[in-house]
Amino acid sequence: MVDREWIIKKVLAVLSMLVVVGILLIVVFVTKAALPVITKVGLFNLFSSNWYPPTGHYGIMIFIVGTLLTTVGGLLIGAPLALGTALFLTEMAPRRAATIVTRGVEVLAGIPSIVLGWLGLIILLPWIKALTRTGGTGIFAASIILGIMVMPTITTIAKDALETVPADYRLGSIGLGATRWQTTWRVTLPAAKSGIIVAVILGMGRAIGETMAVALVIGPATSYAKGLFSPTHTLTTKMLMEMGESSGIQRSALFFMALVLLLIAIALIALIRVASRKKAYAR
Amino acid sequence: MNRDLQTTETAFGIEAGSPAVRRSAGRAKRTDRTATVVVWSMAMFGLALLGFIVIAICWKGLLYALNPHFVFGAPRTSAAGGGIWPMVWSSFYLAILTLVIVLPVGVGAAIYMSEYAREGFMTRSVRFGADVLTTVPSIVFGIFGLLLFVTYMGLGYSLLAGALLLALLNLPTIMRTSEEALKAVPNSYREASMGLGASRWHTIKKVVLPSAIPGITTGAILAIGRVVGESAAIVYTVGTFVLKAPLLPTQPAAPMAGNIWYLVSEGGLMIPDAIKIASAEAAFLLLLVLAFNLLARLIAWLYKRKTRTAARFV
Repeated sequence: MVDREWIIKKVLAVLSMLVVVGILLIVVFVTKAALPVITKVGLFNLFSSNWYPPTGHYGIMIFIVGTLLTTVGGLLIGAPLALGTALFLTEMAPRRAATIVTRGVEVLAGIPSIVLGWLGLIILLPWIKALTRTGGTGIFAASIILGIMVMPTITTIAKDALETVPADYRLGSIGLGATRWQTTWRVTLPAAKSGIIVAVILGMGRAIGETMAVALVIGPATSYAKGLFSPTHTLTTKMLMEMGESSGIQRSALFFMALVLLLIAIALIALIRVASRKKAYAR
Repeated sequence: MNRDLQTTETAFGIEAGSPAVRRSAGRAKRTDRTATVVVWSMAMFGLALLGFIVIAICWKGLLYALNPHFVFGAPRTSAAGGGIWPMVWSSFYLAILTLVIVLPVGVGAAIYMSEYAREGFMTRSVRFGADVLTTVPSIVFGIFGLLLFVTYMGLGYSLLAGALLLALLNLPTIMRTSEEALKAVPNSYREASMGLGASRWHTIKKVVLPSAIPGITTGAILAIGRVVGESAAIVYTVGTFVLKAPLLPTQPAAPMAGNIWYLVSEGGLMIPDAIKIASAEAAFLLLLVLAFNLLARLIAWLYKRKTRTAARFV
């Protein structure tokens, strides 16, 4: 006789394994699609700065640098704002203010990236254009939009990290006569350090992968940015814009970019695992 | 006694109440005040920014978006004044189709993780996989969908291809929210049911799952908001422009978020009032997503209030 309970348990186990199957499928399919360019063109060519498919040049360095610069810019703008907001929520805010700000952060997290990109295109770019007398597009505009996008991510996770710091720590510090800020700066923040690092890493992941919002304000141009206000490309925007009209080796090169992004995503999560394991060990 | 106290006060060679101590205490207090002001203004700046974004987007497009001829009208390719009904329809169709696929899988997986699984290699790899899946950029999802569902499985640009892909994209979040909802069900419920002789599955079906429904519903509605707002993943799996609302899941469609991208990139060349349409579509999309977020919070809040009243009578 077949045991019904046993069957149900196994079926549910298979369902839970689907995320693993999903990620494996993504890795396999993207790798397979990226193989032609790796074998025929070679990694040396792929990591050069020359992207010109008609002559067989598929260097993706321009896009890697673009992704790097916009991500750093986004974090420089978004992370301090997010940390400030997280500190506000856990250390200072009266209950009602905390509720309002928490809801606000949730709403901000829910704004679709295409809408934020659209805002950048029709409001931010004209402003930058008028202020700097340049085209307006580029790293700076992308950084501002990315800053807005990573802010809710970092805030939420940093807030969770700060909330897990035991109240005793704060009381002990306050009891010794420290001011609230001394307590926050010397006791609470160091105690929540690894959680805050995780928050920033996840914010970084979001900034690296963001496509639409960046695509609308980055330019585009297949060249290194000559400054904060000159057009360039990132990995994601190049993929988005060329996937439609590409074929053969060029398309394979775009899949290679996807593979790079995929490996970055896996590395980031592995990094987070290491960071949080250290914390558990210290306890 | 008195003497001891004096020794401690001068323990570091600084007498309490001496000018040095008072100066340092004064500095600490000033820093504290400055830091408080800075942190408050950062949080308020965040709120102001949100307000600005919503108002700016609505300012640019809401008036045009509220016109029924726009929302329910048919699009035009080479003349101004087109509507977006097929895109609105596509967005909802895609969201429902995605939910139909992801909910059974996600909730089933969550039941396994919360009710059956013991911590081990398998649960660790599931959590790792879920975390990676949440971090994979949506454009990478998009081109994976193009490879697997559109080309390899031969579905073509279609709602079904998009829904399968977005189901995978939303699976980790649905799993997490459902698992949290299941874990919030008190253990005493399970013990009471199994103590009466019910089997584990019977307990889950009749006791645990019904108590977790509000939490699962909240997660599902938030997922609708995310699907409706998703753009990069659907450009190469569902399509970005259609003239007529699709009926079958195997037909191509054009959800609003992807359509805005179309209007900015290719469509702008053909449709004379592309900017106006995109502005209005962005405003409509933003309000729609906000409405879904609000609805999800409302359900969570209503349920919380209900259980609080119920708890008073227990």
